[in-house]
Amino acid sequence: MPDVTPPSSDLGARPPTMGRLFRRHLFAYILGGACLLASAAALNRIDWLSKAAIDSAFGGNTGRAVRASIGMVALTVLAFVAAVGSRYFIFSAVADVEYDLRRGILAKLHQLGGSFHRTMSAGDLMSRMTNDVVGVRATFGFGASQSLNVVFAFASSLQVMFGISWRLTLAASLTMPLVAVTMRYFSRHLLNFTRTNQQMLGQLASLVEGSLTGMRVIRSFGLEERELERFDLKNVDYFQANLSLARLRALLGPILGLASAASMLAFFWYGGILLCRPASVPGAITKGDFFAFDLALTRMTWPLMAIGSIYSVIQRGRACFGRIREIFDSVSEVRDSGTTIPNGTGLEVEGLSFSYADRDVLRDVSFRVMPGRSLAIVGRTGSGKSTLAQLLVRMLPTPRGRVRLGGVDVCDMPIRELRRRVGYAQQSAFLFSTTVSRNVAFSMDDPDSAESMARIRDAMGAAQVLREALELPNALDTVVGERGIQLSGGQRQRVALARALAWAPPILLLDDPLSAVDSKTETAILEGLRGKMKAHSLVLVTHRVAAAAACDEIAVLEDGRIVARGTHAALISAGGLYATFAKQQQLEQETPEVGP
Amino acid sequence: MKSSSPGTGSSPSVADSLKAFHEEKAPRPSSDIAVWLRLWGFVRPHSRRLVIALLLVFVGAGFNLAAPLVMGAMVRHATMRDRSGVFRDGLLFMAILVARKVSEFAQRYLTEVAGARAMVDIRKAVFQVLQRATMRFLDTTPIGRLVTRATNDVDAIAEIFRIGVVSSAGDVVSLVAYVVAMLVLDWRMSLVAFLMMPPVLVVAEVVRARGRRANVDLRVRLAQVNAFLGEQVNGTSVVQAYGRVDAVMREFDVINRSYRGAFVRFINYLLAMDSLLQMLGTLCIASVLLWATLSHGVSGAQNPAAAFALVVTFTMYINQFFEPISVLAERYPVLQTGLVAAERVLQVLDETELESDTPPPACGEDRANEAFSLDHVTFEYKPGVPALRDVSFVAAPGEKIALVGPTGSGKSTIASLLLRLYEISEGVARVEGHDVRRFGRRELREKFAVVPQDVYLFPGSLLSNVAMTDPRPDRARALAALERVGAAVLFRERVNGTLADDAWLDAPVDRGGANFSAGERQLVALARALYRDAPIVVLDEATASVDSVTEARLQRSIAAVLEKRTALIIAHRLSTIRSADHIVVMDEGAVVEQGTHEELLVRNGLYARLHKLGFRGGSADTS
Repeated sequence: MPDVTPPSSDLGARPPTMGRLFRRHLFAYILGGACLLASAAALNRIDWLSKAAIDSAFGGNTGRAVRASIGMVALTVLAFVAAVGSRYFIFSAVADVEYDLRRGILAKLHQLGGSFHRTMSAGDLMSRMTNDVVGVRATFGFGASQSLNVVFAFASSLQVMFGISWRLTLAASLTMPLVAVTMRYFSRHLLNFTRTNQQMLGQLASLVEGSLTGMRVIRSFGLEERELERFDLKNVDYFQANLSLARLRALLGPILGLASAASMLAFFWYGGILLCRPASVPGAITKGDFFAFDLALTRMTWPLMAIGSIYSVIQRGRACFGRIREIFDSVSEVRDSGTTIPNGTGLEVEGLSFSYADRDVLRDVSFRVMPGRSLAIVGRTGSGKSTLAQLLVRMLPTPRGRVRLGGVDVCDMPIRELRRRVGYAQQSAFLFSTTVSRNVAFSMDDPDSAESMARIRDAMGAAQVLREALELPNALDTVVGERGIQLSGGQRQRVALARALAWAPPILLLDDPLSAVDSKTETAILEGLRGKMKAHSLVLVTHRVAAAAACDEIAVLEDGRIVARGTHAALISAGGLYATFAKQQQLEQETPEVGP
Repeated sequence: MKSSSPGTGSSPSVADSLKAFHEEKAPRPSSDIAVWLRLWGFVRPHSRRLVIALLLVFVGAGFNLAAPLVMGAMVRHATMRDRSGVFRDGLLFMAILVARKVSEFAQRYLTEVAGARAMVDIRKAVFQVLQRATMRFLDTTPIGRLVTRATNDVDAIAEIFRIGVVSSAGDVVSLVAYVVAMLVLDWRMSLVAFLMMPPVLVVAEVVRARGRRANVDLRVRLAQVNAFLGEQVNGTSVVQAYGRVDAVMREFDVINRSYRGAFVRFINYLLAMDSLLQMLGTLCIASVLLWATLSHGVSGAQNPAAAFALVVTFTMYINQFFEPISVLAERYPVLQTGLVAAERVLQVLDETELESDTPPPACGEDRANEAFSLDHVTFEYKPGVPALRDVSFVAAPGEKIALVGPTGSGKSTIASLLLRLYEISEGVARVEGHDVRRFGRRELREKFAVVPQDVYLFPGSLLSNVAMTDPRPDRARALAALERVGAAVLFRERVNGTLADDAWLDAPVDRGGANFSAGERQLVALARALYRDAPIVVLDEATASVDSVTEARLQRSIAAVLEKRTALIIAHRLSTIRSADHIVVMDEGAVVEQGTHEELLVRNGLYARLHKLGFRGGSADTS
């Protein structure tokens, strides 16, 4: 495929750091910063012009006052344009960061593969992809632009204030340290309380989820009241956490407001006194001075109050980024470094053993599937069948030298090439939220072409799901999956099977594809598969004897070992574990043909 | 057959239905006012706090109105070199400041408390509704969605209180008050001050309207991004197995890119709005200066102290005027989100299908001498797809009934109907001779002890799981139950406990019983049934999913549980089937034959044929 780029190329080969992401967009930040600077400079000039306007007006120089006022209007518009410009530059960069991060995480996720879920739950991953990305975005956007803004606004205001009177500036600044200390105190506690609050909410959510999942038991045993009691406890816990947070938040605003108003008071009071002084006394100020100082001080209020939230946004963004980094830093168990292209589709397994942590799952498993032949791997739950299937396609770290395809060790070939040849359809029939036909056509690049449509219908027919799918509200164009129409378990499995059949890879590896399908349908599907098997090899992992019986050869797996091999007839007459399965399942599998 | 023709004709229709699906948005069935009224129902019990908060808001607005006047007076006294006047004004201003902030704190806190309390009630109401929802509803609604309703969505409503709906009321009052105050002080200067407002506000309105549309657009696209990612997280192994990573990445790129565009558009409108308001403030101040210059500067002789004080007061009013406006602009989206969330929560409260406890007028007549029975029962989960067809059988007290048949033949459905987890479409289910609809659900279900095939354990302890129906677990009874099913030894070993010690009863059980094996969970469920000591046991036998040692243990335990009780057994083992008093053979939702083992053999029908084929001396028979 020519248009394929290595998935993580956007963020570079190394895992991203905040610094690197920032540097990638440095130019945008410089442009945005320049605009902010221009805006702050314009506001600074406005303050000085206001002084000129007032002094001229009250000094009788009307012409100059009018010119100054008009200058103020012009500069205001300029400041506006510059501010809009700065935000445009910075937030475009921010949108890029967010875009890159989401893309990078998804690519990394697919690189890590399904086994990654063992270390990070789906809910946790989702929260990192959504909430944490937003947290990082806030740092790059609000955090960065407001940090710059605070610096420029302070410089711009202080220049006016010091220029007018250092005494007055000192008086007005007396409460600033108080503000800084308060902010630090509050942001730390706010963070802690928010965390507790989120934990409580999480507990409440998992209680509700548990209760809904176990509803059948709850109903059957009449536990509704007990559930309500448990819920009430958590509900009140969460309420208490809410209150602690509310108290803090309700305090924060007024305290900060008080501090900034106090500095305003200090200015008015002392400024009033200075205004009283005759112009000849040192430190005396004019009306224009007083007015310009007022404007400058007012301008500083908001940035001052924002320091705390900027600080906490940046802190939070760093924490969020840390959580995202954990995804980027995860190392895939399976390394895709092979380069040999296999030439043939014979599958050989020799002496394959595998263990999770300290538990042996597979022990010395060997078998062979020649092109056009079929093999069933039969065993009870926990015998290691699914692990074996996943090892064949390197969904798990397959040990070197044990599995060969066309004579080439699967560890030596690119994973893409391996999976193109061995089509693995797994137990859990996961369907995407798209139309039935797009789900079946998942392996196709041109799902709408006539040829594809024919393949789709053919595969669905073979999987015995075409008739039912055509009865759906929009036939094959009905949207199914998580957010679409909910198919029954059996229908879902058959659509998933059709997806695998439509793919038609040289070797089809089916992991218990029919567990939720009734036996009559299963028989029909297996009949259909017989036709397919002529052209392709089939490895069927199943716990059902009736399904296995249709295969050329059957391997019985027990406690990770192959305990018996042979045809259905041979294994039945041998009377071992397989024969036991057959008996146990007879009642389930056999379809009664006659009514009473 | 529409759209099924292959070729180009089908692609627009695929695109259409995907588009319709993705862009489908919940219609807004109710007006905002209706939603507010419903919310008020939850808030009213806590409204005393809100009323106080509202009063405080007005007090605060009064203080806000007074502050610039005091400041103006201070400036006037200063210009007139009246030091004691400056001092008095300073003290007054300080007093106003403190009073204002104290009332602000009290008002914010009271509002949040009232909101949080109302949310406790809403969450509880949602949970109660879910507890009473029909199984049919719960089967067809994704659990995650319902959890979100009870938690995050309620939180979004709470945000309305957090950002201060109440202070918004105060802000509106303040805005009017400022304008009035300015007009009273100097109506001409006021007009000049607001001269710039109409044109800028027109622009602002355009920006706001576009910003709002952009916000809606942004939400839709964010939902798409999240939905896509969520699905990828769950489907990653399918994507990998099919080698479709690149195709998926391309697909995501389209969504991700369109989200990026929507974000930039939205943020630009939002920030432009913010800057516009800031600009407007400065423009108003410049106008005031210009006016002061023209009207006072020329004559100069008029009272310059008063004139300057007026300019200062006006400047402060203008600054104070724009503060609540930008706050209102910030609050608006939060309010919108809250209302949408409220609508969704109310939908759960209003539209959830609830189990009704009033018996219907036409109940089936009573029958004597039955433990339970089905009488010509027909039932469907989905309309038009019958799961049971005209099923009838009777269990006398003390009888053991075995249900036999392939997967999907309707065996589990029968158990659900006896417990009245679903409503029967046609026919009558009876328990102890009465139509199940005559009982209270609780009363009905107390007659059953259910041992499902897939046991659900609650987080807690072994004891709390065995004695789960009991608010005060009886240790001795739980111990006896576990010993009776032969699980005591096993669980004691798990924690290396001594025989005398029963501390192992408190062994923790993780969520979903993840720290117990399937076999162990079964044993706990059997002990549960014994502890419950109900007259009827419903047992869904475990299939081949447990190892043979556990299976043997389970067999003995089951025998203990069934002793002296009426039982409905969804049977998989021949030993169980053979020892049942009555066997019901099911297929595709219908009873194909029933009778005792011997009768069925004599009858020489399906059961007999199956028995001859594979079950003579079946090895699963451990008795």
